[in-house]
Amino acid sequence: MNMKVDIKKFTTSIFRDYLVLVAILALILVTMVVEPRFMSTQNMTNIFRQFGPLSLVSLGMTFVIIGGFIDLSVAGIFSLVCVVTVSLIDPIGQVPAMIVGLLVGIVCGLLNSFLLLSSGALTQAEALFITFGMSMITGAFALFITGGMVLNFSDLAGNFALFTAIGSGTVGLFPISLIIFSVALVILHFFQSKTIMGRTICLTGGNKTAARLTGLSVNGSIMMIYALSGFLTALGAINQFSRTTTASPTMGKGFETNAILAVVVGGTTLKGGKGSVLRTLMGTMLIILMSNCLNLLGVSSFMQNVTKGAILVIAIWLDNRKPL
Amino acid sequence: MSQAASAEILSVTDVSKSFPGVKALDQVSFSVKRGTVHGLVGENGAGKSTLMKILSGVYTKDSGTVVFDGQEVPSTTPIKSMNMGLAIIYQELNLVNQLSVGENIFLGRFSEMGGMRGVHAKGRELLDSIASKIDTHKLVEELSVSEKQMVEIAKALSFQSKLIIMDEPSSSLTSDELKELYVIIRELKSRGISIIYISHKLDEIFDLCDTVTIMRDGHVIDTRAISDLTRGDMIAKMVGRTIENEYPPRANKVGEILLEVKSLNTLKLNDVSFSVRKGEILGLVGLVGAGRTEIVRALFGADKTRGHEIRIDGKPVKIRNPKDAIQAGFGFVSEDRKLQGLVLPFSVEQNISMASLQKIAPKGILRKSLEKAIAEKHVKSLAVKTPTIKTKVVSLSGGNQQKCIIGRWLETTPRILIMDEPTRGIDVGAKYEIYILMKEIAESGGAVIMISSELPEVLNMSNRVLTVYEGRITGEFDPIRYSADRVMESALGFKGGAEA
Repeated sequence: MNMKVDIKKFTTSIFRDYLVLVAILALILVTMVVEPRFMSTQNMTNIFRQFGPLSLVSLGMTFVIIGGFIDLSVAGIFSLVCVVTVSLIDPIGQVPAMIVGLLVGIVCGLLNSFLLLSSGALTQAEALFITFGMSMITGAFALFITGGMVLNFSDLAGNFALFTAIGSGTVGLFPISLIIFSVALVILHFFQSKTIMGRTICLTGGNKTAARLTGLSVNGSIMMIYALSGFLTALGAINQFSRTTTASPTMGKGFETNAILAVVVGGTTLKGGKGSVLRTLMGTMLIILMSNCLNLLGVSSFMQNVTKGAILVIAIWLDNRKPL
Repeated sequence: MSQAASAEILSVTDVSKSFPGVKALDQVSFSVKRGTVHGLVGENGAGKSTLMKILSGVYTKDSGTVVFDGQEVPSTTPIKSMNMGLAIIYQELNLVNQLSVGENIFLGRFSEMGGMRGVHAKGRELLDSIASKIDTHKLVEELSVSEKQMVEIAKALSFQSKLIIMDEPSSSLTSDELKELYVIIRELKSRGISIIYISHKLDEIFDLCDTVTIMRDGHVIDTRAISDLTRGDMIAKMVGRTIENEYPPRANKVGEILLEVKSLNTLKLNDVSFSVRKGEILGLVGLVGAGRTEIVRALFGADKTRGHEIRIDGKPVKIRNPKDAIQAGFGFVSEDRKLQGLVLPFSVEQNISMASLQKIAPKGILRKSLEKAIAEKHVKSLAVKTPTIKTKVVSLSGGNQQKCIIGRWLETTPRILIMDEPTRGIDVGAKYEIYILMKEIAESGGAVIMISSELPEVLNMSNRVLTVYEGRITGEFDPIRYSADRVMESALGFKGGAEA
């Protein structure tokens, strides 16, 4: 009897662990059969390019969620970084503009953590609202800077070869954006599993009180996760406008929900403590493939949102039924 | 059979309940006669709370039968049992602080009472019937603990309860309030209402109860009329062994002063000063909320203080947060294992290593082999029962979880180990092992500051006892020379204690 239960537990845990992978494979197979255009070079390039921005934002979100919090401000920060960077290319040159863009991300992230820490907000719900407020503020700044206009690379006088390279350049077969992502993934995986700071973030997410009473720097990890999220969002934003060669002040819209979706579907628990960037990689792949397939199959965008919502709900439901 | 049903309000037959890894109740049987006060005693973990939670419908029994008021109750829920006439008043009272007294009594039944006016009128009636003068419009958060208890009793009466279970009702009452409670309980009894009275305080059991059921390790050991029992019998049945081997011999290598604390002040503490010697186990005794935990938390930098002076080996140290405290040589086994100590979804290994991350990451990079060595060392030396060190700590028993936390601190080689309720919810065997560890820490030249709600434990383990009452230290005792009653009087704020 006990044996039976164990086997059942074992199979369900295997099933859950690889559920995302199975879903990805199933999706690819079905779409390949139904819609041969899926395998075209053009579509593959398309998928790779879409992958860059969302996956980077999701990597940052992974740490925020592992640390026991949430970050809705990525939408606003994303838009702000887009317009700030592009509008600075002419005045100060492309490299300084990129550096400023990344700094804007980090500073906004630190501001999030500062607001949380100084107000003593230590729950996910409070973080949800504070970062939502930050998203509105940064998003509004983005609109303010451009006066609501869209900035086009074609209107720029200066050199923007760096961004063109990020957007559409390749090294051998590999798009540069994919290389950026892979490097980030490897570094972050190492950071999480091998460094004191990474472990501290996980423990903080697992039990803040216990972490603090064990002398771990809980405040430090909160600052770290939001700064990291801001930085990776900025990196994602740069990736995005480099690909589209335009920067609109509402470009970040939807990235917060999609990033959370990617993290949770990947199997990182919203309860904090446990999860990994590798899971997020799978989650992101699933989200992007799914929207690509649904597009190819001509499913309306309303219906696509229904699917996304349903997947999020199911992922959280499965997570909550999992024993600790 | 029908006669038995009418004489007994409750009869429990062969009820068992298991949780993963523990048999909490094993074929428990006892019955409560109508209109009597029935005492229920036993050590922590004896199964009293589990049994009460089965009766009130919080847990479901695995097997056995429960007959209440002549009818078999196959399964129940908290609401069903309330309506049936079985009320339970928990130690941590179950009231909504932000609502008024009247609203709390009739929570969820406002319309049946004819709106708010009816709620307050009927609430008044019920409170009058137990001679309580609490204004029904007052918010519950403004009430004292004993007043809250009155509200709970009124609430129980509003359901026409035939049986009221009181779980440790006296644990935070003053002696005057306790006398009031006695009066009310006798009044309820005269109305034919039965009471199950759970308490650790044997005096109360002898004062109040007609019959008493003694539990130990999930079994009912005996049910007897109170007049057939002596205090000694009762204790022997509760602990199931002689008292001599419950505690190891006292630590006996007390040396010079290690820690001096002067004028520790916080919102709840008033000018607390004391010192601890090398090799000493210092016990802090007081009621829950008296400030015991606040003292050690402030000392450890976990709570904000309003200025204080701490010296270790005569040298002043500054402690602003737990990190400073750990560096100064403190360790802290906190009161609530699950909420404040363990990171439940993490492994035994990671829970043990978490106070020593610097040690297992010499250059900032975690070395798994070092972590594993540390975890294995403590799992072995503390005899932690776990399948592997990779097992999640959540699946261990309370005693083994506590050992993981102790291992975590031993790895930091603390000079002063603070232990707040170190044996709460731990079975007898594991308790003894923890006592031995405490003694070893003290005798190796460190010091232990221990807090416990179990007076015998503090008195038997400590070299010196301080009593805490309303945020102040009210007395200092040598537990060998003074009786438990003297210590308790001081902890209840009666008068200053004697110098040890």
